[in-house]
Amino acid sequence: MRRLRLGSVLVAAIIAAACGSAGGGGTNGNSYAGKTIKLGAVLSITGAGGVYGPQSRDGMNLAVEQINKAGGVNGAQISLIVADDASLQAQSAQVAQTMIQSDQDLALLGPTLSNSAVAVHPLAENQKIPILAVSTTGINIVPNCNFPSTVACRYVFRDSLGEETAIPDNIQSYASDAHPATGVLLVAQDDKFSSDGGKIVQATVSKYNINLLKTISFGKNEADLSPYVTTAVGLHPDVIFITSLGGIPAKIMIEARKQGWQGQFLGGNGFNTATVSKNAGAAGMGARSASAWYLGNSFPSNAEFVTAFKTAYGHDPDQFAAQGYTGINVIADAAKRANLTFSDLAGDRDKLRAAMETVNIQSPLGPFQFTSTHDVKQTVWVIKMDGAGGFTLVHEIKPS
Amino acid sequence: MGQQILNAIFIGSIYALFAVGYTLVFGVLDILNLAHSAVFTLGAAVTYTLVVNHGQSFWLACVVGILVAALMGLVIEYVCLRPLRRRRAPPIAALISTIGLALIIIAAIEQGRPGTLFAWLWVDGANPVTMPPGTFPNPTWHVAGLTLEGSKLAVIPISVVLMLVLGYVMRFTQVGRALRAVAENPRAARLMGIDVDRMIALTLIISSALGGLAGILFGVALGDISPYIGRDSVEVRGLAVIVLGGMGSIPGAVLGGYLLGLIEVLAVVLLGSNVRAGVAFAALFLMLVLRPQGFFGAQLREKV
Repeated sequence: MRRLRLGSVLVAAIIAAACGSAGGGGTNGNSYAGKTIKLGAVLSITGAGGVYGPQSRDGMNLAVEQINKAGGVNGAQISLIVADDASLQAQSAQVAQTMIQSDQDLALLGPTLSNSAVAVHPLAENQKIPILAVSTTGINIVPNCNFPSTVACRYVFRDSLGEETAIPDNIQSYASDAHPATGVLLVAQDDKFSSDGGKIVQATVSKYNINLLKTISFGKNEADLSPYVTTAVGLHPDVIFITSLGGIPAKIMIEARKQGWQGQFLGGNGFNTATVSKNAGAAGMGARSASAWYLGNSFPSNAEFVTAFKTAYGHDPDQFAAQGYTGINVIADAAKRANLTFSDLAGDRDKLRAAMETVNIQSPLGPFQFTSTHDVKQTVWVIKMDGAGGFTLVHEIKPS
Repeated sequence: MGQQILNAIFIGSIYALFAVGYTLVFGVLDILNLAHSAVFTLGAAVTYTLVVNHGQSFWLACVVGILVAALMGLVIEYVCLRPLRRRRAPPIAALISTIGLALIIIAAIEQGRPGTLFAWLWVDGANPVTMPPGTFPNPTWHVAGLTLEGSKLAVIPISVVLMLVLGYVMRFTQVGRALRAVAENPRAARLMGIDVDRMIALTLIISSALGGLAGILFGVALGDISPYIGRDSVEVRGLAVIVLGGMGSIPGAVLGGYLLGLIEVLAVVLLGSNVRAGVAFAALFLMLVLRPQGFFGAQLREKV
């Protein structure tokens, strides 16, 4: 009897050890075989943010395809559903809620606009699902998504370089090149991304001895911006700061050039996509912004990414595509190491969250890691529009 | 400042043209046609699609855009208004009916993406687009420190001529007299042998054609065409204009349009930019309080 009991205990111990090591390793090539990693992306495919969302989506889809073709994450295939929030905050929250509860996604990506993130990120935090922002660069995205509360959000991450870094870098770069004396700020007051960018401009200009003559605000849906541009041009500034998104920067630039203004446009993240450069055309030539990514950057995984993207979609990727692509790779890497069970969604989401904090991969954005506040620390590329739908590099600013 | 006056005259012309259509329908039918802003948007969208997606000449596209808008006027009459008139429904039913049609039109444009049901009408979904440069002649002159843009300047004579023509028609032609008779008293007009239904249809056609033209001019001159230009730019301002000018009065709509354009631009210049929209409605409110019939409206009589 004792021998039998000892024997069965030994056998049980051996089996437990074997199961433990197979499951506990996690990096074992096939431990997730047959499972699906469900991800949801809330993006602005239409509406004001519709110039950015499709790029993020294409970058993400490329990454998913590549990972799945290479065998998936430890054998699990990634299933990514992209839903459109029409650039509307309420719709964004609604779509996210569906993905969290009905679709039972493991993690979310997005939303595209900082304005929507105000609603979606606290929701994700509250529902304890990891969410990776791939294009929101406004203030108080991470870590205090529940601003004005200063309790850090544990489930919100971003891989998109914040305006708090980008705008000052851009202004500093131009100030040291050209020493402008005066500027006017044009900002869409009813959009968080734009108004956040405006605040950053206001806080930064004095450091570089630029006198901000006036801040002109308008509604993001107004079609006729002529009176505002006329006011700005009438002040004869050296620089016009444009922190808006979508179709607005191009319109302002075209109108200002029409009215004979020859100065420098400085912008934010809203400039960093081909559609804006193309719409602005010749009027936008030389307009500068700081970007998280540049087509010709020499990081190891960038060239492959660019080639693969061009092959798949027939045109160059942009910053948003690179950030979307990196986002999927970040989540995939975290999922690999997270020991997912696929039977306890809440537990898996938390494990993924913890694993994301220790991500360290090569990406088209460079070597990628999160900071302690789930933000991104990376090289900044100061770029300018080339007047023909593209960008050229002005400066590369390495992280401090 | 001179440049701002030009901005005001341009946007004022658009408002005036748009509001004339509004006020025409109100004068004749005593209802607000809230599908008017959708027709404004439709005119611009059709013109854009014909040029960019179907490769037609700009001028042909404009003509077709106006015709489509006019046709939509007929649709408004036959679908939204006439059935309710037959049933002697209260005016508010007609109002809601036109709102419904407006929503349908805008949704159809918004849904237009490559491969969808409405791809023949529009393929850019909810995104704003602009006419490709070179589509139409748009010379720019710099005179006395002012920037004069061909497409914006052209709006002024076009609007003025149309409004004069309309005024002439209303005053001096048989059709105009018939329309005014219907506006005054439909029953008496019918007794005089006027085909009231036909006059109403004609009113809608003219009104919608003007609305569509306003949309085309707006979209082309400002380089911004999307499913939302009607809602964002003219829908509610049009109401402010006709209240300012007097509901039912065409000269009032014209004056109101230019006045509103001027007030808005002056507000931006003098008060700072955030208040532009608020100013339009402050003016509206003030007019309602001080002189509810507007500049040229008839004194309101009690309806017993």
